[in-house]
Amino acid sequence: MAGRANIPTNSSALIAIIADEVADCYGSNVDETTVKQIEDAFKEFTSREDIAIVLISQYVANMIRFLVDGYNKPVPAILEIPSKDHPYDPAHDSVLSRVKYLFSSESVATDRR
Amino acid sequence: MAAVAASAAAEEPRLLGSVPGAEDAVESDGAVGEEGRARGDDDEEILRFMDSVDGYLVLMDSLSSALRQGWLDLASARHSMGPSRVSSTLFNHKEQTASTKLQVVDHAEVEPSESKPLFTLSKWRLQEESASNNDDPVQTGNKPKLRHRGSATNPEDGNLARDSITAESLTCADTSNHVQRARSKALSVFGGLVSPKLRTAQISFETALELIVGLANSRSNILASSSQIKQ
Repeated sequence: MAGRANIPTNSSALIAIIADEVADCYGSNVDETTVKQIEDAFKEFTSREDIAIVLISQYVANMIRFLVDGYNKPVPAILEIPSKDHPYDPAHDSVLSRVKYLFSSESVATDRR
Repeated sequence: MAAVAASAAAEEPRLLGSVPGAEDAVESDGAVGEEGRARGDDDEEILRFMDSVDGYLVLMDSLSSALRQGWLDLASARHSMGPSRVSSTLFNHKEQTASTKLQVVDHAEVEPSESKPLFTLSKWRLQEESASNNDDPVQTGNKPKLRHRGSATNPEDGNLARDSITAESLTCADTSNHVQRARSKALSVFGGLVSPKLRTAQISFETALELIVGLANSRSNILASSSQIKQ
């Protein structure tokens, strides 16, 4: 969970998850998560050294799209995953967006030649 | 490659003598050859990049299927066992030792110019089990040999081959038993007798975890290739 101290890992790493339907897991008395809280959790998880992979539901990633797309470090790896109610859409994936950008810049360069 | 071009350029004047412009022609051919080889390397990198992207899309599709199946089976198990028996309130939220571990090897420590982390998954403490088995002083030659009926003149090589195959199958059986025990132990939090759907959900989510690690590696390849192409 966000705000938690580093867990001793002994040379192994953690997988963090930022997903929706948290209320479904922990009962109905959890307040609705704000975008600010999601941003803070994302920033925290991407700055911790004991986390290797951050799984983020694509629906939640769309709420902080500017943060997710701006992230380009190799570790921790940010992976957008589908959720129960929101299937995966490759058009919104940040990794594939970079691929599209690369090909679009290549095509522009070809036209200029 | 530059050395080959230089040596070719050095040899040519001996054959042609003092022909004016011959050396310049050879040098320009060498330059064109180097440019061709560079373009070949770029093409290789682009192909590698596109393979990584294709692999990423295939893995993502597989992950979607695995998760969907897992959620369906979990809902089915909750329906048959009752919501009180399949609930996160049963989880122990204290820190505990993980049976499946994730490790990252970052090649940037070896070659700072290339940051391409490699993610590996060790499921159900299998690496620790195999390490403890390898520590045993028993070697292939010292293992008790199986008795074979029939001819007393069995060739030693045949015995050793049979023993190694038997040892391998025993190791695979041990691993399989270990994994089954670990899976049952993980499900024991839901009670002694659990729905078969819960077991299949567990396997689906286990598969999803492997796919996630594969996706992380694929992402790492894509980022490394794209930075190479941009250069």
